[in-house]
Amino acid sequence: MRAFANATPKNLTDAVEQVKQAKQGQKSVAIAGGGSDLLGMVKDHLVSPDVIVHLAAIKGNDTVTELAGVVKIGGNITLDALSRHPLIREKYTALADAAGVVGTPQIRNAGTLAGNVCQRPWCWYFRNGFPCFKAGGNQCFSAAGENQLHAIFGGGPSFIVHPSDTAPALVALDAKFHITGPAGERTVAAADFFTLPKVNAAKENSLAEGEILAWVEIPTAKPGTRSMYHKELDREAWTHAIVSTAVVLELDGATCRSARIVMGGVAPIPWRVPEAEKLLVGQRVTPELAVKIGETALIGATPLAKNRYKVPLAKEIVRRTVAAVAAKA
Amino acid sequence: MNPLKTAGHPTQRIDALKRVTGTATYTSDKHFPGMLYARVLRSPHPHARVKSVDVSKAQAMPGVKAIITRDNCDVVWSSGDTRNKRYLFNNPVRYAGDAVACVAAIDRHTAEEATRLIAVEYETLPFVLDAEEALKPEAPEIQPGGNLSADDKGKREAEVYKRGSLDRGFAEADIVLEDRFQSAHHNNAQLEPRVSIALWEGDKLTVHAATQGIANCRTDIARDLKMPVENVRVVCEYMGGGFGNKNQCQDSDLMAAVLAKKTGTPVKVEFSRKEDFISVHGRWPVTQYYKVGAKKDGTLTALQVRGYSGMGPYRKGRGDQGGPEVYQCANVEQSVTTVYTNMAVSANYRAPAYPHSVFGLESVMDDIATRLKMDPLEFRLKNMTRKYRDSVEYSSIGLEQCLREGAAKFEWKKRWHEPGLDTGNIRRGAGMGMGGFGSSVGKSEAILKVDSKGQYHLYVGVTDVGTAAKTTMGLIAAEELAVPLEKVTVHWGDTADCPYSVGESGGRTTSFTGVSVVEAAKQLKKQIAEKGMPKGSDMLTASVVTDPDTKGLARYSFLADFCELEVDMSTGHIKILKFLAVHDSGRVINPLTAQSQVQGGVIQGLSMALHEELLYDKRRGIPINAGYYGARIMTHLDVPLVETMFIETDDPFGPFGAKTLGEPPIVGVVAAVANAFFNATGRRIKSLPFSRDKVLDALGKKEVLA
Repeated sequence: MRAFANATPKNLTDAVEQVKQAKQGQKSVAIAGGGSDLLGMVKDHLVSPDVIVHLAAIKGNDTVTELAGVVKIGGNITLDALSRHPLIREKYTALADAAGVVGTPQIRNAGTLAGNVCQRPWCWYFRNGFPCFKAGGNQCFSAAGENQLHAIFGGGPSFIVHPSDTAPALVALDAKFHITGPAGERTVAAADFFTLPKVNAAKENSLAEGEILAWVEIPTAKPGTRSMYHKELDREAWTHAIVSTAVVLELDGATCRSARIVMGGVAPIPWRVPEAEKLLVGQRVTPELAVKIGETALIGATPLAKNRYKVPLAKEIVRRTVAAVAAKA
Repeated sequence: MNPLKTAGHPTQRIDALKRVTGTATYTSDKHFPGMLYARVLRSPHPHARVKSVDVSKAQAMPGVKAIITRDNCDVVWSSGDTRNKRYLFNNPVRYAGDAVACVAAIDRHTAEEATRLIAVEYETLPFVLDAEEALKPEAPEIQPGGNLSADDKGKREAEVYKRGSLDRGFAEADIVLEDRFQSAHHNNAQLEPRVSIALWEGDKLTVHAATQGIANCRTDIARDLKMPVENVRVVCEYMGGGFGNKNQCQDSDLMAAVLAKKTGTPVKVEFSRKEDFISVHGRWPVTQYYKVGAKKDGTLTALQVRGYSGMGPYRKGRGDQGGPEVYQCANVEQSVTTVYTNMAVSANYRAPAYPHSVFGLESVMDDIATRLKMDPLEFRLKNMTRKYRDSVEYSSIGLEQCLREGAAKFEWKKRWHEPGLDTGNIRRGAGMGMGGFGSSVGKSEAILKVDSKGQYHLYVGVTDVGTAAKTTMGLIAAEELAVPLEKVTVHWGDTADCPYSVGESGGRTTSFTGVSVVEAAKQLKKQIAEKGMPKGSDMLTASVVTDPDTKGLARYSFLADFCELEVDMSTGHIKILKFLAVHDSGRVINPLTAQSQVQGGVIQGLSMALHEELLYDKRRGIPINAGYYGARIMTHLDVPLVETMFIETDDPFGPFGAKTLGEPPIVGVVAAVANAFFNATGRRIKSLPFSRDKVLDALGKKEVLA
């Protein structure tokens, strides 16, 4: 492993400043949340930073706060703390569910919300040193290679799937991301934060050089809102989703007022399915409707040679999760 | 059987507390003054000629002490290939992961960074991954003379076993079934990656190795470095598992020795987890073609198997395929073709020839039983072996009891149903597999001493690969001496004071070394009877060599595995509900560690069936999922409760009648899972592992019920 220096900022402004200074000194910089994945990437020579700026050193950006109309969540909150937080569990269940199924207990103890949202892809080509788009190269090896775990929506020219569990939940909960960077602060809707490879195949989101995902806000849940996140794994722990889905339903008795459905493991970004959502508005969630929601969610899927199985699997996961959320009401 | 006093009762390992409290010193924990760390540079290409290796930049890096490549090191690693000359560094390189250079430096990071400064010019060559493809005339030649690997007599042809006449057997058959099964490259995946430390004092070499057998490791090192064996000492006090990939000496042992000689200081060579997956070895992938005939009453009349084993580019393993010997059948023909490919090297992994081959065999047998509308249990009871290859008597055989008593405990009649009869989205099914594993006897040694305080000291050449061999040897001595286990101090793991042992492979330690221990105890008792107990600093010593044979009998351990699982028909998720492993391994010396041994083997088999595969990018010949994350080794959450049951037959050989138990636990597991899946769903998956894409593909098809 190549040696690197550790930087321990006092606050977010200081973190931005330390990143800027390192860059001015011609040093390569990586920003770490929990650092559990970044250290592995350094060991595998996928990144070779001169300096790692540790956001975990910042005190206080790891809490859940209820404000007027919104819940504010510090980017540094650990996945474990988030998954156990009473308010998140009760009102924003999909996010607690998602945080609670990331990796392993060790990873959830170290890993942070912001880190999970910004995690690099786990495509086996990228992780094994192939010079792909994500590694600065100009091709996607999965397209005509081993693509069992790859995208069935939004692929091309890269076919990675977004690795985060919390990202689909945040998009489904209509979160906003607060970003701080050398040019100041900005706020972006979670759904607009993630970017498709056709926009920029080397990246998964719109963070500019030196920018940090500082904190997240979620609009206060309307009465009758219920949500869940379901992750389908190919072993019971320590993998990324084959397919997942976050479902948020606003229910008035048995009638659905509004719905947001976002799939994970199927696209290079959290994949929202508005056509499926529309079918729910003003309707009772019957078993037949749930089937139709699943079918509709997968319209337009373009599987690759080895991941056709994801289509029926995702249909079923969406169907089950929609039905399960409705049944909670 | 006579009841035993000390042995035969659940006994904690003598080193259990040291292991779980972190005070046991494994090879990687060891440090010596001035010790250097070494890292290996490996080929990124599956097949390439090395045109040049420029080490100048690496050599100039501060902290780098020595670099070896083929240009300055032509040591042959003879146990790395039993047919061809395999050097420590080969040219051409023949798989992605073949070693090109090894760098020793003041710390591991410096060594690793230095490997990245070595400039290698490759001329890439065509490559082939699949064994059958590799036999085609247009396939690239991987070893001189072609890709069909020679048998142990040097003949380049399939190894064939025959009895009776297939023509007659198929003519007598009422039904004939043909099918094809395939397995993947599965890694041993033991916790401890490869590590070796070498120290020289004059012309004497000490290697601290992570080895399954100090004695063979020592003779191999001496042979490869052209040294007298007396000048080599191998030490392995605690080792972290191998499951067959730490037999003999390793390339890392030899690299450490060469670098230590070159630098005049101790050198530790370490492989990373990924290297341990790619550059050591795993189980050989097999492709098998079956053609089987049976009469309406279920009697097998013909069994034909044509198998191909992909060995990677070096012949490190035997490549054989087992299973048919547990069936009684007058007409059998089995051919196995071992083939060179540009995949990772294949060699021993727990019951090397079995779980993947038995998966194919037992799937076919289950299908025949289904066609004949027979309960697979009854079919096996009817056709199971009574004599080895229908002609040689077994020294002991508890296979029928394994089947009958196992089925009763498992409640087979209740859990098994006609295949595919379950309905609904969650479907349950039960399946079984049976097997055997040769339990040989042979040469071994033991030294037993007694001091004036009445403490016994047993010296045995075992390293304890996780089987609790040290404890087993102590129990055997204590039993024969009729003393409590605490009265026996076991000395192990150092060729300086331990005599020859066959090494912990082939499930041989108990049957081989255990016999020597019994004999040593008998001789020591005799000495004590004649001379009385020693006085002061005197000791009495019995040093024995035993080399028994089985007097023309076949000696086998037997097993039956029973599995119940459920399948979610719309998501393809498989959940193991119940697993019972029943073993005839003769007398059980330590029921506690015997149970652990079986549970461990079953877990490996379940993971092999449902998850694991070293996956390759087919167009580039490069593995893409090495390591615990990528290869999907099962986690604790995936592991069901594994029930065990022992049928203790009274075997005339082996210590107190103990037979082999180390390897058998994995033999029938994959088959039992495959058959339970078939029973639940009516669909048959014919290639390993049962990954989600294959499961959903199978479930999406029409039922394939016969």
